[in-house]
Amino acid sequence: MSGAAPVAADGATLVYLPGIAGHPASSPALDALGDAGWHVVVPRIPGLDGRSGFWAPDDYLGWLAVVWDALDATGALPCPVVGASLGGMLAADLAVFRPEAVTASVLLAPFGIFDESHPGLDLYAVPTAERMGHLFAKGVPEPFVERFAELGPEDGPVARYLCDAAAASLLWPLGDRGHAGRLHRLTCPALALWGELDELLPVATSQAWADRGVPVEVVAGAGHLLEWDEPDGVAGRLVEFLASVIR
Amino acid sequence: MLQTVVDFRQLLGERRTVKLLWFHLMPYPELPEDFNRKHRSVWVDVDPALFDPEVMAACYERYIDQLVFAEQCGFDGICINEHHGNGYGLMPSPNVIGSVLASRTTRAAITVLGNSVALYDPPIRVAEEMAMLDLLSHGRLISGFPVGTSMDTAYAYSVNPASLRQKYREGVDLVLKAWTATEPFAFNGRFTQMRYVNVLPRPLQRPHPPIWIPGGGSVETWDYCSTNDYVYGALSYYGHLMAKETVGGYWRTVEENGKDANPYRLAFLQFIGVADTDRDAYRLYKEPAEYFFNRSLHVYPGYADAPGYLTEASARARFASRVRATVRAKQARHDLTWDEMLEKGYVVIGSPDTVRETLEDVAKTFNCGHLLTMLQFGNMSDELTRHNSKLFGEMVAPGLRGLFADAEDHWWPTNAVAA
Repeated sequence: MSGAAPVAADGATLVYLPGIAGHPASSPALDALGDAGWHVVVPRIPGLDGRSGFWAPDDYLGWLAVVWDALDATGALPCPVVGASLGGMLAADLAVFRPEAVTASVLLAPFGIFDESHPGLDLYAVPTAERMGHLFAKGVPEPFVERFAELGPEDGPVARYLCDAAAASLLWPLGDRGHAGRLHRLTCPALALWGELDELLPVATSQAWADRGVPVEVVAGAGHLLEWDEPDGVAGRLVEFLASVIR
Repeated sequence: MLQTVVDFRQLLGERRTVKLLWFHLMPYPELPEDFNRKHRSVWVDVDPALFDPEVMAACYERYIDQLVFAEQCGFDGICINEHHGNGYGLMPSPNVIGSVLASRTTRAAITVLGNSVALYDPPIRVAEEMAMLDLLSHGRLISGFPVGTSMDTAYAYSVNPASLRQKYREGVDLVLKAWTATEPFAFNGRFTQMRYVNVLPRPLQRPHPPIWIPGGGSVETWDYCSTNDYVYGALSYYGHLMAKETVGGYWRTVEENGKDANPYRLAFLQFIGVADTDRDAYRLYKEPAEYFFNRSLHVYPGYADAPGYLTEASARARFASRVRATVRAKQARHDLTWDEMLEKGYVVIGSPDTVRETLEDVAKTFNCGHLLTMLQFGNMSDELTRHNSKLFGEMVAPGLRGLFADAEDHWWPTNAVAA
C-alpha cells in the first residue's frame, strides 16, 4: 500500500458510488481526495438514501437504469468513477457498458462475482442490529452507528430499513451479477483495492477479478468498507493511481 | 368409484355455521432436548444430520392418519401448509399430502394453506396441481396462497425479498386467470412471461376454489384480502391475546374498503389442549408446547426478516408496535416457560367447558367464522393428539356450532360438507 503524497487534481471531478450501507456521511478518505484537489460527486442513489416511497426495480437491469439516471443527473460523467462494495459492482458495469462515460475505474471490494469456495459472511443473515459491525475491521465509524438518526425515532429506523432493503435487492442472494462473463470489456484504466480482513468478500475472492485483468491490491488491516478503515492509505493510493492514468 | 358431485350447501345449510378446521404442521418430533442451546436455528441452516428419514417416514404415516382421524372427529376441514428447509414443519409440498388426503377422506375441506406462489416459476404449476387436488377431492379444495415466511422464501428459496410480494401478487393473478379463462392466452407479467397459458385440467369448483390468504400481520395483506374478497387467515402462533392487534387491523381495513363484516371473511389459528379437567390439561400439554415454542420455533433472528421482506408500510407499523416487539424479543429468547405460554394465551388449555368458553369468546370477539385448531403441536404423541382431537370434536365443537348462523359462508368449498 503506497502512502504517496497527494497530487493536485486541479478541481477535476470524480464520482463516488457508495457501498452496501449507503452514504451517511462523507468519509475521511473522500475528504482527503478533496484535499488533493479532486471534486468528489456522490450521486443520490434512490433506495440507498432511505427516502420513503422507493420501490426496488424488478431486476438488475432495472437497477442499472435507476443508477445511470442518477449518475447522468450529476452531469459529472465522463470522469473517473470510484465504487465501493455494491457501488463497485455498479461502477464496473458502468465502465463495461458505457465505456465513454468512465475515464478510470477504481473498485473497492466490489460485489459482482461470487466464489463458492470462499462464500464469506451473508450479511443479510445477520440480525439487523449486528450488521454494521461486520463491515469494518476497526470499529463502526460514528456515521454508521445509527444511520438516519437525524430523521427521528420514528422515521430513522424506517429509513435504515429501506436503505438496507434497497441494497439487499441489488445483491440478493449472492451478489453475483455475472461480471465474470463481461469484465473483458472493461477497457479503461482500472484498479481494485481489497480489505485484508473483509468478512463479506474474503480477500481470496479478489483473484477472480485479477484473473480477468483488473489489478488487485490488498489493504492491510481493513474490512469490507476499506475506505473507512484505512482512509489515508486508500485515499493516497487513489490519488496516486488517478494521477498516473488521467492526463 | 367416481362420486356424484352434489352441491350439499342447500341440503345441509353448512354455509351458516362456524367452521372448525384441524391444522397439521407436521413437525419433526425428535429434535434434541438441548436443541435451542446448541443449534442456532430450526430453519434454513439447521443441521440435516438431526433428521432421521426413518423417523420422518413414520411421522408422515402417523400425521396423515391423524388428519383422516380429524374428519372422523367431526372437523369441517383439515389443513396443511408449505415450509422449506426446517424442522418446524416438514411439508415442503403440501400438494403431495393433499392428494393422499383427498383419497382418504370424503367430506372435509382439503385446506391447503397453501402454496407460496412466488416460489414457482412459472406459477401455473400451482394452478395445475391445485386443480388436480380439487378434482381428486371432488370439489373440496380450499386454495391458500401465502406470501411465505422470510425463512422459506428469501433464504430457503433465495427469492429476492424486495420483489417477493409483487411476484406473489402477479402469480396469484396468473393462477386465477389460468383457472377461469375461456381460451388460451398470453401473459406478459413483470416476472412471468408466457406465450401460451392453457392450464388443464381446470378445477371442479367454478369459477375456482375458495381463496384464503394466510398472513402474519402485514397491512397490505389485510387490504389485499378485503379488496378481493379473499378470506384472511391470521396465522400467528402466539395465540388470541397477541392476535387482537392483527385481527383488529384487518377488520378496520375491511370496513375502510366498504365490505361487510361477514365473520367468514376471517380464519384464525389457535393452539389448543383439551383434557378431562383443567389440571389434566396443564399436565398433559406442557411438554409438547414447550417443545414447539422452544425448539420447533427456534428461528435465528437473522432469518426472520430479510431486508425488503416487509413493505415500507408494514415496516413502519412493526417499528411502531410495542406488542410485536415484545413477541419478537420473546421469540429470540427461546426459553418460554409453560406458565408464560398460558398467561399470554399462546395455548388455550383446559377441560372441554373451559376451552369452549374461551374459544366462544375468541370467536365472538374476533368475529371469526373459521377457527383453525392446532391440536397436534411439537412432539405430542399420537395417543394424546387423538385424545385431544376426540375430546374437542365430541365435547367442545357442539357448543360452538351455533355461532354465526346469521351469516353465509361464501368461502367454503362447493362439496365439502360440514359436520
